[in-house]
Amino acid sequence: MSPLKKLTAIFFILSCGIIAGVNAIAAETDSILLYTPFTKISVPPGESIDYTIDVINNGTELEKLDLSVTNLPRGWNYTLKSGAWNVRQVAVLPGEKKSLSLRVEVPFQVNKGNYRIYLVAGEGHTLPLTVNISEQGTYRTEFTTRQANMEGHAGSSFNYSADLQNRTAEAQTYALRGEVPRGWTITFRANGKQVTSVDVEANSTVNVTIEIKPAEQVEEGTYAIPVRAVSGSSSGELKLEAVITGTYRIELSTPSGLLSSDIVAGRGKKIDLVVKNTGTSILSDVQLTHAAPANWEVTFEPKKIESILAGRQENVTVTISADKKAIPGDYVTNLEARTPETSSKASFRMSVKTPMLWGWIGVLIIAAGIAAIWYLFRKYGRR
Amino acid sequence: MDWTISITDILKEVTTMTDTPITNTAGKSRISERVKHPFRVIMEKEISDHVSGWRFIILAAIIALTCLGALYTALTNISQAVKPNDPEGTFFFLKLFTVSDGTMPSFMVFISFLGPLLGIGLGFDAINSEHNRGTLSRILSQPIHRDYIINAKFTAAIAVISVMLMSLCLMVMGAGLTMLGIPPTAEEFVRMVLFILLGILYVAFWLNLAILFSVLFRQPATAALSAIAVWLFFTVFYPLIVSLITKSIEPPATATPSQLVAFEQFRLALLRVMPNQLFSEATTTLLMPSVRSLGPLTMEQLIGALPGPLPLGQSLLLVWPHVTGLAAGTIISFVISYVLFMRREIRPR
Repeated sequence: MSPLKKLTAIFFILSCGIIAGVNAIAAETDSILLYTPFTKISVPPGESIDYTIDVINNGTELEKLDLSVTNLPRGWNYTLKSGAWNVRQVAVLPGEKKSLSLRVEVPFQVNKGNYRIYLVAGEGHTLPLTVNISEQGTYRTEFTTRQANMEGHAGSSFNYSADLQNRTAEAQTYALRGEVPRGWTITFRANGKQVTSVDVEANSTVNVTIEIKPAEQVEEGTYAIPVRAVSGSSSGELKLEAVITGTYRIELSTPSGLLSSDIVAGRGKKIDLVVKNTGTSILSDVQLTHAAPANWEVTFEPKKIESILAGRQENVTVTISADKKAIPGDYVTNLEARTPETSSKASFRMSVKTPMLWGWIGVLIIAAGIAAIWYLFRKYGRR
Repeated sequence: MDWTISITDILKEVTTMTDTPITNTAGKSRISERVKHPFRVIMEKEISDHVSGWRFIILAAIIALTCLGALYTALTNISQAVKPNDPEGTFFFLKLFTVSDGTMPSFMVFISFLGPLLGIGLGFDAINSEHNRGTLSRILSQPIHRDYIINAKFTAAIAVISVMLMSLCLMVMGAGLTMLGIPPTAEEFVRMVLFILLGILYVAFWLNLAILFSVLFRQPATAALSAIAVWLFFTVFYPLIVSLITKSIEPPATATPSQLVAFEQFRLALLRVMPNQLFSEATTTLLMPSVRSLGPLTMEQLIGALPGPLPLGQSLLLVWPHVTGLAAGTIISFVISYVLFMRREIRPR
């Protein structure tokens, strides 16, 4: 055997002995064992992790151990409890174990990645714990909706359902504000009540219903409505979209606006009507209908209008003929201009007059009587 | 012709005829230089006789008192008479004439009931009493036309009646104005005036009938009784007869609407022979503007009808047949009495 070989063998034996000796020391000091089942936990920002930690004394003597958590990143907090007490030191009898609960609070503002923290008990007893932050942490408010775009005609109201999520460390009071065009109305509802501000606890969500009513004279188009939830330290914004389709409005009236007329029983009367398109879309197939008293005749000329452009008007002549037996006084005649989309009704008050014929016959009879007297006066009177 | 002398002669005759002392009118006309038409002289004399006579005073007092009673009930009940959504709400004042609480008839009903009595009372002895006293032939011996007598008698009586009815109505209006504090509108006033004119026409009919009887019968009592008999017949017996007739020909409930309408029209036509029916229908229409028809109505006619007052012209047109009927009755009885009187031989006794 060469001296080099011998040296190597001695070194090997020695190093083995040293290693064994070191191991023996470790085994001796590891009479205290810190144990927790889950040493790597993945959480999103803002969560807190509860560990249950057992301190086990495998030695033969009573062990008194100071407890602390080290390597905790800035902004993180921990509490170490047993039962109701915050624990700073623990004493464990030989062969026994104590359970502690460790709560680590992860802040919202934290980067994605692995963080290692150590629970240190006494001197040299450490328990490494790995916390995996699953996503990039934020410190903000989130205001979201699943459906930001809605379509409807001018008369409809738009109901958006939005979630207001407070992802800050404190409870926040958010003022709700929407920027709507002039004449529009916006109302917020939370918990079934109409609100202008809403309180949200830290890390919780409140559902806010946003109701938007367009202005009466709104034009066709897409309207973007930014809605904000603003608190003292944070804010969230949501962009809503309302798509207004064309409006259909029709108006039936007379050129002067007068909706009453005289009519002689049994005769007809011509009335000029105006059908106006007051909406923003073209109206087609305008039907003219009526509801008149029994035995009255109503005819329109023309009977139907093909189309009326937005803002334009068409003239219609209606001939209303009263029943021969209509009694004098007021009757109501309803005229209606109707398209599949919309309709307009005009109630005419028709004052029926009876023909003067019988009145004149009565006058004639009386005149004949007076003439007879006159004749008698002439014949007999002057004797 | 010397008119002054003849007039004084007539006046002498007239005063002797009524056994009253010479009135102021006579004195004045004797003094005044203006010459009066003989017709006017007779008329004025008749009016003064009527007004100072007990008969007219009693009749007027009866009518005035009953009408005051009616006015009182109307005034106490008028607050209940106006209901919300009443189409006649704008014709508040007219309710004075039509409202009653059921214990006492309204003003309108009283006029239709007592008006005939007034006409009969003033007309039943117009000619026959003169005849019986022998004054008629003495008047006729004066150089005046014979028809002046009957014309003046009629005109005088109608003038007295007109003044009385007019003043009664104005009294009601005045009392209403004082108690209610609401002035009548122009249309209400015109309707009231038309009501008075209609009342005068109605009383004129009975007056002419009474004059006719006074020409027919020599005894005033006979004339008065027969006139009252006609009045009673129309107010009491005629409706009974009509209901007897209509009951016997009443169509069954299963009859067609046209049959029912025809029957109803027939019944109304029978009823409208009565002057009081004509008068009450006409006054109702004039004083209640919401009355739109006086005959039977079918449902067809009512579809789409709005409750509302009729304009005055239409109300008038509605009652025009009634007015014509009353006027015709008046004229016919006048013509008959006129002809009879003119053809009669009048001899001094």
